[in-house]
Amino acid sequence: MPEDLDTRLLAAHAADDRAALIGLYGEAAGTAKSPVARNFYLTHAYVYALEAGVPEADILRRRLVDYGAEPLD
Amino acid sequence: MPKDKANDVLDAVRGPIRTARGLPNAHYTDPATIAEENEAVLRRTWAGLAVGADVPDPSDCKPITFLGQPLLLLRDKDATLRVFENICRHRGMILVGDACKIEGAIRCPYHSWCYAKDGRLVATPHVGGPGQNSHPDMPRSGLGLIEVRSHVWRDVVFVNLSGNAPPFEEVHADLMDRWRDVDKPLYHGGWDSRVTLDVATNWKLAVENYCESYHLPWVHPGLNSYSRLEDHYHIESRGNFSGQGTYVYRQLEGRDGERLPDFEALPEVWETGGEYIALYPNVLLGVQRDHAFAIVLDPVRHDRTREHVHIYYAAPDTDGALRQKNATRWKTVFTEDVFVVEGMQRGRAAPGFDGGRFSPAMDGPTHLFHDWVAGRIADLRALRDA
Repeated sequence: MPEDLDTRLLAAHAADDRAALIGLYGEAAGTAKSPVARNFYLTHAYVYALEAGVPEADILRRRLVDYGAEPLD
Repeated sequence: MPKDKANDVLDAVRGPIRTARGLPNAHYTDPATIAEENEAVLRRTWAGLAVGADVPDPSDCKPITFLGQPLLLLRDKDATLRVFENICRHRGMILVGDACKIEGAIRCPYHSWCYAKDGRLVATPHVGGPGQNSHPDMPRSGLGLIEVRSHVWRDVVFVNLSGNAPPFEEVHADLMDRWRDVDKPLYHGGWDSRVTLDVATNWKLAVENYCESYHLPWVHPGLNSYSRLEDHYHIESRGNFSGQGTYVYRQLEGRDGERLPDFEALPEVWETGGEYIALYPNVLLGVQRDHAFAIVLDPVRHDRTREHVHIYYAAPDTDGALRQKNATRWKTVFTEDVFVVEGMQRGRAAPGFDGGRFSPAMDGPTHLFHDWVAGRIADLRALRDA
């Protein structure tokens, strides 16, 4: 993960800024160098989106299902 | 205490009122005795936990500890109210720490398992390893939040912690029938119509005091001018509820004679009638033509009770000044009772007190409550001995 992204993630965690965490973990997934790392970060984005009840949750979930990381139902 | 002697004590409570004794001191002071009593009286019955107004809107939730058990009052997005154990099915972590609105899902703060507002487990991040959110041995369908049996009546949320009590409507059919005429939509008065009293007493003493009118002229002298002792009657339904009624309820009036709106289509008897009933075990209810109230007794400890008072009206919008005047009136009455229930609790430390006696003329409703408690304990012992 780029250092700058790591810094922003830690700052969002420190501020408990869950809306920011959704975007930042999604961004981290985009920079991941392996499917496992990608799914790991996408999962975090998905969980925070699910908690917040925002529409991104459905999109993230579908991606995780496509990658075989999340069950269909 | 030997078993036969312990049962003799309960028999003495359950005898005819003219000779009966009250529950012995241990039922107010001894944690071991109270643990057995709690099982019989609070866990295996329909105990009052909260009111619907504690979670007024969809997605509202409130954690409540009751008898040491962490519970979660949760209103679904379609407004269905449920009670769950407030724990994650993974490692038993407390899920919700403070009352809040659940925006999407309840996320466990430990490993982020997520639950829908109807209790379904909907996310188990990394449960199958990093980036793998399922595992064949961890089916989500069997790991939803544990629901506690609940029932809402007159906005009071009742729970049956043991899960095996007969249905609420069956247990309390008599009172539901008695109050069918006043079973109208209730509107919580809002912030000025709720008060919590933290009282240094066992919860049962609050019930016992509420049941009877005998103390009114002494403890509530303000009533003497318009609501005398002889204006009251006993309400007695053995095994379910007891209390008192008045024939002379007088409505509050504002400066220009304005009054709070009445519940619709009440029979004439309610014009000046009021009834005040302890619904066993721990809910105190009151109803008059223009407002009602519910007091949920939280048995925090053997010698500490939180009394949650909620006042309800016949309409969603009522005159604020009248509402506050009404709330002040009731708060005064309930506060006047505090020294009595705290004094009786302190009195239970006197070894010479033998449970006391009941006036056959005046203490019938209180004796019925003691009789019910003793009967529940006797039934539990018989069940365990069978």
